Amino acid sequence: METAFNEGKRVRRGRAYSLERLERRAGLLFALPALVGFLLFVFVPMICVLLLSLYKVDLMTYTFEFKGFGFYDKMLGDPDFWKSVRNTLTYMAIYVPLTLLLGLGMALVLNGKMRARGVVRTFFIIPYITTYVATLVVWNVFLHPTEGPVNSLLMSLGVERPPQYMVDKHWALPMLALIGSWKDVGYHCILFLAALQGVSKDYYEAAEIDGAGRLQRFKHITFPLISPTSFFLLLITIIGGLQAFYQMALLTKGGPAFSTTTMTYHIYRSAFEFYNFSYASAVGMFLFLLTLVLIAVNWFAQKKWVFYQ
Amino acid sequence: MPLGSNIRYTVRSVVYLLVGLVFITPLLWMISTSLKFEHQVFERPFVFIHWDAVNWNNYSHVLTGTDFPVWLWNSVFVVIVSVVFRLLLSALGGYAFGFLKFRYSDGIFFAFLAAMFIPYQLTLLPQFISFRFIGLLDSHWALILPNIVDVLSIFLMRQFFLSFPKELVHAAYLEGSGVFRSFVRVALPLAATPLLTLGLLSFFMIWDQYFQPLIFLHSKELYTIPIGLQSFQTQFGKQYAMQMALACLAIIPVLGVFLALQKRFVESIVSSGLKG
Repeated sequence: METAFNEGKRVRRGRAYSLERLERRAGLLFALPALVGFLLFVFVPMICVLLLSLYKVDLMTYTFEFKGFGFYDKMLGDPDFWKSVRNTLTYMAIYVPLTLLLGLGMALVLNGKMRARGVVRTFFIIPYITTYVATLVVWNVFLHPTEGPVNSLLMSLGVERPPQYMVDKHWALPMLALIGSWKDVGYHCILFLAALQGVSKDYYEAAEIDGAGRLQRFKHITFPLISPTSFFLLLITIIGGLQAFYQMALLTKGGPAFSTTTMTYHIYRSAFEFYNFSYASAVGMFLFLLTLVLIAVNWFAQKKWVFYQ
Repeated sequence: MPLGSNIRYTVRSVVYLLVGLVFITPLLWMISTSLKFEHQVFERPFVFIHWDAVNWNNYSHVLTGTDFPVWLWNSVFVVIVSVVFRLLLSALGGYAFGFLKFRYSDGIFFAFLAAMFIPYQLTLLPQFISFRFIGLLDSHWALILPNIVDVLSIFLMRQFFLSFPKELVHAAYLEGSGVFRSFVRVALPLAATPLLTLGLLSFFMIWDQYFQPLIFLHSKELYTIPIGLQSFQTQFGKQYAMQMALACLAIIPVLGVFLALQKRFVESIVSSGLKG
């Protein structure tokens, strides 16, 4: 800091040409904490993960043994791994479209003429801001298969065998995706609402004069104009879906019968229950790769539907 | 407004209000159950609140008979320290990348951004091993340190400083301030709004963290609220009313902050989302 400070005095003496150089030098100094932090907590760990997936680690003695692509081979030949990939993709297939559509729907509601908009908006956002683990503790009892309020309501309505939710291997994963959507949709709602409010009323008035119906107006005006926000949210939702973990850890522990072991939960179990960090790293690298592929695909596909003004 | 459309308008609003209430049913049920006795939890017919016999004991038990106050303190400590350091680092970094610039700063920043796609579960693996190696495991610093470096936060501060008026800073130079002093005196005060935004978003994110304490902490006296809640749930699996009281207490701090700063919070999300 001291040198930058002194150079500041030199500037005062009129050597303006050195201003840029001075700022550049100070810039490096200012960025230093961020650079060091990034190196320590992102860059080096990434290199470590790569190495970790190639070496067998003994956590007692901190000795390493080179295994090449052995852990990747093991991973690709592991039926549990492929189940976890399938579970993650199934989760995404529900979570991503549901969160986006629900968020858009809620934003459209809030954007229309209504009373008590603020209250309804608050209701929509509350799950997003509340402590996730706390809400999961609630969901756990709320969806209790025999006595929970949801099923006792269903039974009083005459449903003889209501779904068993977390203990039924066909229901568990979709329910977790549903809870994930419920939790996150408030964020989508807020961003969609902001985008909708940014659409000029003039467009709608012009379209109405031309005789465009509700659906046509949505398709030709609203959708293109909010598409940058939709695209951003799509990316966020994909990343969020791939990294979903809390529901599995709190509600199902990956079960029943492995049906909710997503890739993230598989990583967690491999590393922290079986202490196989190398295998977990290999799965993690695969997850990272999958993230990049999905982001890249959508990045190129955006030209077809995202409209930048 | 003609009477007919006025009624329709009101009816529609009421319907939406009900939809909103249905949306938060689990949380309403949580409040209801937290005020009941255990034998009333699954009672039929369902009663929202037994006004004549409200059971406050769940709360008093949670506050005095469990470690909740300790978890609360731990959460507050971890969140505040993390957020303060994160803001400091992000303000400095954002100023460097967005305003001052230096050799290769844009390139380096691009590498930063790429890191946003790394699943956090992945970087936690080597972090766990290295923390274990240097003996940082089972301490609050294991939770705090990784939280300080947040690419999104640096990104948001950079976006702010990219459009920061050069004249203001240059005027400070002419008055004899160095780069650091003009940053503290001129740039930082004007960055109060984005910093508050960032602080608020970070508060909610770090408060929610469960995976990190799950793997980094062993000692119960170090638990933060999420992991404490989970340990309570595992230990007292059948005491549902108590669990709900605990969940309620866990939510109250964030809900309080949210309701107090709701307008700003919504603006925060919008500004961070649209720029990101």
